Amino acid sequence: MRTIFHLDLDAFFVEVERILDPSLRGKPVIVGGDPKYGRGVVAACSYEARAFGLHSAMPIRTAYKLCPHGIYIHGSHGEYSRFSKAVKRILEQYAPVVEQASIDEFYMDFTGCRNIYGSLFAFASFLQKEIRQKLSLPCSIGIGSNKTIAKIGSDCMKPCGITYIIPEMGKEFLAPMPVETIPGVGKVMLKDLNSKGIFKIGDITKLPQDYFATAYGKYGIDLYRKACGKGSEYLTVQWEQKSISHERTFADVTSKEFLKEKLFYLTGKVCHELREMDWQVATVSIKLRYSDFKTLTRAKTIKPTDDDEEIFEVAWDMMTKAYTRRIAVRLIGVRLTNFSNCSEQEELFEWTEIKRRRMLKVVNRIRYKYGYDSILIGELKRTGEIDKHPNYFQA
Amino acid sequence: MLLNFNEKIVQFMPKFYIGTAGWSYKDWVPNFYPKKQSGGFDWLQFYSHYFNCVEVNSTYYAYLSPRVFESWIRKVEDSDDFIFNVKLNQDFTHKRKYDEQNIKAIRYNLQILKNEERLGGLLIQFPYSFPYNNSATQFISELKDIFQNYNLFVEVRHSSWRNKEAYEFFKKNNLTFCTIDQPQIGQAIPFEPIITNDKAYIRFHGRNEEAWKNSINNFGKKQSYEEQNQRYKYLYLPGELIEIEQVIKSIQSKVKEVHVIMNNHPKGDAVANAFELIHLLEERTKVEMPPTIVKAYKRLGEIAAN
Repeated sequence: MRTIFHLDLDAFFVEVERILDPSLRGKPVIVGGDPKYGRGVVAACSYEARAFGLHSAMPIRTAYKLCPHGIYIHGSHGEYSRFSKAVKRILEQYAPVVEQASIDEFYMDFTGCRNIYGSLFAFASFLQKEIRQKLSLPCSIGIGSNKTIAKIGSDCMKPCGITYIIPEMGKEFLAPMPVETIPGVGKVMLKDLNSKGIFKIGDITKLPQDYFATAYGKYGIDLYRKACGKGSEYLTVQWEQKSISHERTFADVTSKEFLKEKLFYLTGKVCHELREMDWQVATVSIKLRYSDFKTLTRAKTIKPTDDDEEIFEVAWDMMTKAYTRRIAVRLIGVRLTNFSNCSEQEELFEWTEIKRRRMLKVVNRIRYKYGYDSILIGELKRTGEIDKHPNYFQA
Repeated sequence: MLLNFNEKIVQFMPKFYIGTAGWSYKDWVPNFYPKKQSGGFDWLQFYSHYFNCVEVNSTYYAYLSPRVFESWIRKVEDSDDFIFNVKLNQDFTHKRKYDEQNIKAIRYNLQILKNEERLGGLLIQFPYSFPYNNSATQFISELKDIFQNYNLFVEVRHSSWRNKEAYEFFKKNNLTFCTIDQPQIGQAIPFEPIITNDKAYIRFHGRNEEAWKNSINNFGKKQSYEEQNQRYKYLYLPGELIEIEQVIKSIQSKVKEVHVIMNNHPKGDAVANAFELIHLLEERTKVEMPPTIVKAYKRLGEIAAN
């Protein structure tokens, strides 16, 4: 039997904003987009704002209708990640294994630590106090025998709560809760379950597992397992970076030329990071979001490379094929996955290729010294036009 | 064994000297020094009521009269543990041309402070253009012999000093290797404390990258006071201070004294950050500070004692 802690920082972004500006205490604070332009969603809101029916991921425009007197903040993301790292450093002093699930959520494995820390409940309360005292941040902790149950536990006594679910009692603990408490059950799933007469988690476990396997396949089995209080018991600790990606949101564009230009820029950025790590990439993916939020992703695996031009060609090809609807685009992105270390055997390459690789290495060095925008790879060859940017050069 | 988490484990804490680089800035009125000042109002006296240490930078530009030092000692009378860290004149560090007369003048003043137990040490700050090599270490050894009776804090800014041999040289000569926090441009030395004797000396120059780059571009041109100081205009954010706190805590068991000097002085940012660091490093829930600073920096209200 394992002992998993799930620690969730309560209204994290809002609490950090309150450290930056204490006059926000006790007021409805919303971090996210700007209601003036009606764009974006609520990234986080204070408990005072939640009283008006606000919740995270709600469109900012809806939030503004519900709570027009709230304080809307764009957010200081550098500070959030600094505080998040500081929390992790504190947890690492006590927990043998820490998995950071998101900027404000951590799993810890305390299996076998009872002899050191004594009562788990008292220890959780100590951790809470420690984070409150050192960083002025409130948090909730759930303790369970697996990740799912620990997470549900930390959610059900917010803010500043501690929930300890006695092992073997998971199923009974979950039974009276509404089905949407299970992580992964969204709006669509909820509607579907409700139409089948399933409202509480207990309703799921009354039915046989096969029923869910037939109805929802693999996902159904997973849902059933979670309803029974089972879930993943092992933490995944990321040692390596798995992807490099960049994306940009626009005020709805239709111009293909503009998209091409932006995609070229984004590709340049990811390739720069790729070369910094001395890696080559095999899989290139693109993301395209229309103004109605319909989102497409396309991926292609190619011969490992770290060259801007090759990667851009693949990305642009996928983009033109994916962009078929005659609707404005809101966001595009490039993502690289499947890395391999840069091969040193340069004899295998053509002479021009070697020259180009050396050139790109120099580009990286220049950027290291003077910043990314100090040198940009131009698109002269393709468009035949001379770009006005003073730092363009022809590759 | 069960650990009792309600009782805090008493850890070894070094003596913290937390202050600013200089105290005489006109733009600290009204954010730190009050606007309405009586005839006898003295800035150093006011400053020393809140801090236990200051770095003297005027000695870098000029050889001050011993009387000046004597008057400072009188002004800080009320604060028992107040110390001065004196910066060595530029003739030694930047021009590297000095004579017996210069040495005597500096030694005399240092001795005045030392006799009254008001001297922290001598700060020897070399420019970025002083990389690690044999002649450089030889030059530092010379200075070490000249000022051997005092604690020496040596600040080098070129990253070529980050190597084991250089650290060994510092250890052998009982010199403190200053840690600096500044924008990370070019070969600038990163913020990473290196312990070479029983003291740590940490200077914060702010992280105003843009202004720092501008000042490099405008090097040698005539600039106004505001323009010159623009690169130090930076208020550290709470998250950055916590990061700094965690770094300093990780080395504090290795030293007996930690000197923390804030040089981001424009408008009093250095004072505000110094109060925050006193709160974090000395683990004081409340810190005594004047109402002027709380008014100017709202977030200090959380830790102000009054």
